[in-house]
Amino acid sequence: MRLLVVEDEAALAALIGAALQRAGFAVDAADGLRAADDCLRVASYDAAILDLGLSDGDGMTLLARLRRGGDALPVLILTARDAPEDRVGGLDAGADDYLVKPFHMPELVSRVRALLRRPNAALGVRLEAGNLALDTVTRQAAAGDAALPLTARETSLLEMLLRRTGRVVPREAIEQGLYGFDTPTGTNAVEVAVHRLRRRLQDAGASVRIHTLRGVGYMLTGE
Amino acid sequence: MTAPVRSWRLATRLGWRLAAVMTLGVLLAAGGVAWRTLATIRSLDDAALQSQARLVADQIATDAAGRPVLRLPEELAAAFAESDGESLYIVCDAAGRPLLASSPAAAAALQPFLPRPPAAGFFRAPPSASFPDGLLGVLIARGKWRVAVAQAHEQQEALVESLLREFLLSAVWLLVPIGAATVTIGVLTLRHGLRPLREASAAARRIGPAVPGVRLPAAGLPLELAPLVGAVNAALARLERALDAQRRFAGEAAHALRTPLAVLTARIDALPAGAAHDALHGDADRLGRLVAQMLAMSRLDGLPLDVSAPVDLRAVAAAALAALAPLAVRRGVELELADAPALPDVRGNAAALEMALANLIDNAIAHAPAGSTVTVALAAPATLTVSDRGPGVPAAERAAVFGRFHSRRPGGAGLGLAIVAGVAAAHGGSAGVEPRDGGGAVFVLRLGTVAAGPLAAADHAADQILPVQPA
Repeated sequence: MRLLVVEDEAALAALIGAALQRAGFAVDAADGLRAADDCLRVASYDAAILDLGLSDGDGMTLLARLRRGGDALPVLILTARDAPEDRVGGLDAGADDYLVKPFHMPELVSRVRALLRRPNAALGVRLEAGNLALDTVTRQAAAGDAALPLTARETSLLEMLLRRTGRVVPREAIEQGLYGFDTPTGTNAVEVAVHRLRRRLQDAGASVRIHTLRGVGYMLTGE
Repeated sequence: MTAPVRSWRLATRLGWRLAAVMTLGVLLAAGGVAWRTLATIRSLDDAALQSQARLVADQIATDAAGRPVLRLPEELAAAFAESDGESLYIVCDAAGRPLLASSPAAAAALQPFLPRPPAAGFFRAPPSASFPDGLLGVLIARGKWRVAVAQAHEQQEALVESLLREFLLSAVWLLVPIGAATVTIGVLTLRHGLRPLREASAAARRIGPAVPGVRLPAAGLPLELAPLVGAVNAALARLERALDAQRRFAGEAAHALRTPLAVLTARIDALPAGAAHDALHGDADRLGRLVAQMLAMSRLDGLPLDVSAPVDLRAVAAAALAALAPLAVRRGVELELADAPALPDVRGNAAALEMALANLIDNAIAHAPAGSTVTVALAAPATLTVSDRGPGVPAAERAAVFGRFHSRRPGGAGLGLAIVAGVAAAHGGSAGVEPRDGGGAVFVLRLGTVAAGPLAAADHAADQILPVQPA
């Protein structure tokens, strides 16, 4: 899988490139907008990491041009700008994720993986956390070497949580994902479903935990 | 402090002044008319008196004894008789001895004016018992006789009075419609002329930190207002440039500080795992937090916060909790959002409120014992609370914790709660801390309540809450 890193700070570009290569990606680095254009013209990428404050312009113009041209290339903005309006502007302009410098390399790698795991993206098939794995095509889950039989609804719930491992999935999102828009609100259907999935995972010896943020949502973490 | 200034309406003031000027004009005109009339009457009177005196003098004959005999024509005699004693005459000799008079009262009244030797000319008699308003008279010489004719003063005053009354009455009849028309036209012209000013005011209301580019429309304004609008627009342009420079500086400072920090963090991450790695990791995190908080604080200080967007406080709370969930899991602290009836949207800045709330939750997680729960709750009309089961804040420290660089934990920058206070102030509210029943602290973020009112669809679309990284 090939990634484009657009970053004009040479030391940082080298460190990011090295980390992503260790994680198994092929990485091209561009030190500005013009270099990025050249790369995009000659090669096909699965995702891009885009700095905004580049020496020859604003990375946002590149993103805008991509989206205007109908290019759905997953883009993670990596920037020093963290004013609220920058964040909103970046995501409005079509960025898929937004990470503020300084950042931890494992965080960047896992965010890139999450981008690639989105439906129709490169890593859409296998989701993992701890010793738990879910094949999103065959809908087969496994804890370690043992298969983990789940109902269709439990599988959907697990997929939602696994796609955002380490981040909170809002309760409303789960409710709509499992039952559609016509679920009567105030029911505890989601709580019951999570409780059941939690018990299944525990029984199968999965090394993951589903944390409850009462009133907010759920978060799955691998151990 | 400025002294309170009473506000006033231009139209009202114009109306009053026009009315006052017109009333004053009418009074002056009345005075002029009265004065002119009086002068005319006087000169007419003088002429009449003189001709009467001449007429009387013409009729003086001398009898055999050398004494004057008066044979007035019938009309003149009737005039003196009908005047009811108000027109009178006296004839005397050159020495001033009275010889003939229209009546004994006339003789008594006029005698003091007969000089020795009498001189011709007009005279005025002061009021007396028989003539309470005095007399106006003339003395002429004819041969060896002197003739004085006088008239009671009162008659002309009465005439002038009635003339004035007539004038004022008709003036009032004229003044009322003309005055009303003038005031109406004045007020209407003023209102019409000020309409562009109302439009300019509407434009001014739209100006805010988020839209500093708005200028007051100068088109259609009366020339008198053009300098004001021009000056305001020039001031707005200067403010916009200053804001722009401030924003650019904030952006450049963030870039200048964060880029080397990002390199440092990335280098540390590339080191082999171990005690040194972990220690450096912690140091870099602290530095990163400090930079993030300093930048946030300087933005709050230097740039006005746009607090005009509709904000769903529950969504803000959920986003802040979600952002801090990974930290809470690492520390073994539970997070929850307390059940609450839905609150109406308020006007505010969702991103800034989320940052402030995240700081409070981060603070609570740092002080909460493992296994305890940090609870975020909402209360009407626009209050957010974060409750923990930590040691609480001593009463003496409660105000100070919101000050800058006041840190209660090792490694803290001491800016997190100052940012909370700044965001609260930008929303017209306040931040505070109270002891919690059963132990712990309750941090309260109270917003000045500005209900968002009915929302446009576009407003809602812009109102998305985005996840933030823990600062």
